[in-house]
Amino acid sequence: MAVAWIGSREALVGDAAAKAADLLQSSRCPVFSLDTDIHGTRAAIALAEQVGAVCDHAGDGGALARETALFTDRGAMTIAPGETRRRADVVAIVGELPEIHHEFVGELATTVPDLGGGNPRRFFLVGPAGTPAPPLGKGRKATPLSCGGQDLCGTLAALRAQCAGRRTALPVSNFPAFAEALEGAHFPVFLFSGHAADGLALAMLQGLIADLNRKKRASGLHLPASESGWGSALVSTWMTGFPLRTGFARGFPDFDPWRCDGARMIAAGEADLHLRIAALAPEPPGKRSRMASIVLAKTAGPAAGAAVTIAIGAPGVDHDAVVYSSRLGSLRALGARTPSDLPAAAAILRLIAEQVGSEALPC
Amino acid sequence: MLTRIAGGDIVDPVNGRLGEGDLWIADGVIVEAPADGEAGRTVDASGCVVMAGAIDIHSHIGGGNVNTARLLLPEQHSAHLPRPAMTPLSNAGWSTFQTGCLYARMGFTTVVEPAMAPGAALHTHLELADIPIIDKATLVILGNDDFLLSMIRDDASATMIEDYVAWTVASTRALGVKVINAGAAAAFKENVRTFSLDDTVPSYGVSSRRIVKTLQAAVDRLGVPHPLHVHCNNLGSPGSAGTAAATIAAAEGQPLHLAHLQFYGYGTQGKRKFSSEAARLAELVNTTPEVTVDVGQVMFGQTVTVSSDILRQFSARGSAHPKKTVIHDGDGNGGGIVPYRYGKDFYGALQWAIGLELFLLTDDPWRVFFTTDHPNGAPFTAYPALFELLMNRQARAELIAELPASAMALTTLPSIEREYTFEEIAIMTRAAPAKLLGLSDRGHLGAGAVADVAVYRRDADIAKMLGEAAYVFKDGDLVVKDGAVVHYRWGRALRLKPVPDKAMVRRLEAYHQQRYGLSLGWFDFPDTAIAREQPFGEVPCRS
Ligand SMILES: [Zn+2]
Repeated sequence: MAVAWIGSREALVGDAAAKAADLLQSSRCPVFSLDTDIHGTRAAIALAEQVGAVCDHAGDGGALARETALFTDRGAMTIAPGETRRRADVVAIVGELPEIHHEFVGELATTVPDLGGGNPRRFFLVGPAGTPAPPLGKGRKATPLSCGGQDLCGTLAALRAQCAGRRTALPVSNFPAFAEALEGAHFPVFLFSGHAADGLALAMLQGLIADLNRKKRASGLHLPASESGWGSALVSTWMTGFPLRTGFARGFPDFDPWRCDGARMIAAGEADLHLRIAALAPEPPGKRSRMASIVLAKTAGPAAGAAVTIAIGAPGVDHDAVVYSSRLGSLRALGARTPSDLPAAAAILRLIAEQVGSEALPC
Repeated sequence: MLTRIAGGDIVDPVNGRLGEGDLWIADGVIVEAPADGEAGRTVDASGCVVMAGAIDIHSHIGGGNVNTARLLLPEQHSAHLPRPAMTPLSNAGWSTFQTGCLYARMGFTTVVEPAMAPGAALHTHLELADIPIIDKATLVILGNDDFLLSMIRDDASATMIEDYVAWTVASTRALGVKVINAGAAAAFKENVRTFSLDDTVPSYGVSSRRIVKTLQAAVDRLGVPHPLHVHCNNLGSPGSAGTAAATIAAAEGQPLHLAHLQFYGYGTQGKRKFSSEAARLAELVNTTPEVTVDVGQVMFGQTVTVSSDILRQFSARGSAHPKKTVIHDGDGNGGGIVPYRYGKDFYGALQWAIGLELFLLTDDPWRVFFTTDHPNGAPFTAYPALFELLMNRQARAELIAELPASAMALTTLPSIEREYTFEEIAIMTRAAPAKLLGLSDRGHLGAGAVADVAVYRRDADIAKMLGEAAYVFKDGDLVVKDGAVVHYRWGRALRLKPVPDKAMVRRLEAYHQQRYGLSLGWFDFPDTAIAREQPFGEVPCRS
């Protein structure tokens, strides 16, 4: 099976990597989109520093940016998933959660806390009417907490006001049930994500959690919109001091969530080269895009429109990997499920870095 | 290659070598002067002080909480300027890469990250592996975890507790064990807001003292070279000197290390009910030979406090500067990040003075360790200035003159004349840390030691002299010249490797399945996950 292509022509991996290095070196403004494991991210950031690229998440970069902004701009009270399982007697789902977390929410629904008091678990769903809830199984339902036509942030604001004993223009539905649950609760936990919550909603939720902690305990479980995105953000933070949406064009890491928004740079025509690292072959670029691209993906053929395509394996499937696990709330080592010869993104990125020539990060 | 470091002033208290001479290195280790030695490389060390590479026993350089602090404070990076250009990621500020480079420049070659949460061991080791040049090690945190507290409550046998501690140390690749405000994080989850040595954790009925004593005994019996590393209760509160004194008394003849004692040096005298108890604590340390302490010196300026003492960090939220914090309830301790600015006001001045009093009034440099509890008292980049304060009483007097007289009236510092000598510095930052951690291969310049060597050009300006080493060798590689990194290499994380008891592993497997819904494998990792050739170096347990 061929594993690399220059244009649509099969090529040796070394030649394809050399071609990719050429493109990167002659690029004025390269953008990297990452959807990869921890070591893939380490290698990508090292390469980005060499060629002055911007790094962003490949999927919903906006959702990840909202999550990182919660920390960079405001701070938060958070709790580990393990403690949530063992202590949370009130679970409030805040807005729509990404599907990757539905299994864990279902697990919370079928278990009871074993620490801190022995209450059963009760579920609430905060958000406008119609907010989809993860299935809780066996006909269990989360009690909705909505507030007229208010969006998520408005609903949280009303909920926070009512929890503080203030009057609101419109009451939150089922508030008495929530108030009663909080009254008897040992450790309420709010499940949140940047997936559907905007920055104001995330900040409002943290305000509510801070209020509750004046007298009792409560916290928030961060369920990232993307696990690989959050993992990459953590790596970027230790390697450069900053999360994703950090660029190296000026010779030092420059964290700027607006300017280094990869999708914006591409749409605005600022970027002239796109390096895409993805688990699966990405969608071809839009017809109007003339921008050259380099694609590293698990693919059997050249990516449509890409100047260079190199096949890589999927982390934890084709090769051993370290990934962020939201179930663990930390990094986890994964053995290859079905080991194959497909290389890891990290190996290909290092191969390209070696060809770039300028001083490589000792990585 | 045979390297000769020629004509330096050698300061090696362990081997009783003090005075001008040559030091020889071959194949990464220090060797005797060869009979017919032709050096392949000669480094002129005339006019220089030559010491072993320095060892930092307590500096928060990597892991979950440290990275969260970076995430919380993108603006903090300016505090770590300036940096030389043209080295990879040299302008990255508070990154893993900078950490290794900045430590190396000062002649530090081994640094211990003292607060690794067991569940974040893989993350911690990946960060440490990205810190270039120096060797690292970790202390793993126990004492707020349900498994241990349940065993203590249920009067589990000492052997069973040792098996658990051994498994934790082995699976997390730690060099020692730390307990942080024992029981308080667990109590805080049940809404307890203050917690002292004889308070008990709700749901367990186990006192903080009992947790400390249990872990102290287990660590000792397992032959872990480093005694239990204790972060006491009541950190930072006026009157906490009483807690520290009670904890020192609780050592009861067995080795115990108390971390960042400065943060417990507070009395309740004076108008503001905040005063120095440093003289009293130093006297207690002097008369309690089984106890070692590190200082956690405060230096003025912006920093961030990073601590797994979640109870304390939660209560300090109001003092955050800038106004943002992270408080995380973790599986055991969790932690809190509270940025803070130490000003030259009454409180800041007194904290600064208390740290220096502890350094200067503790007689034995083998039992008091050089730390700022990076970054809690100050970033480690403040070390050169701190050396100056310890070695030069004039420098102290100048700073004292700038500080509020009301604060200086409540400390003995202005009356202290002592100045640390190079020999004492070499003990405090080299020989003693190696001994305390069980690292017999370093901390001295005898034949057979790893060739971790720091060469400092003599200068009246101590901060300049010790801040920018003339030469630094790590494992015999020249890594720093004239204060600049000239060679990147990768150090290792030093670890113990006790063999886990099979029955305990089975028990933990069942526990994790039942309580967390996850198999034990989720919490462990192979060495290959670090993706470096030799990520770990093994240190033997005491037999
Ligand atoms: Zn500390």
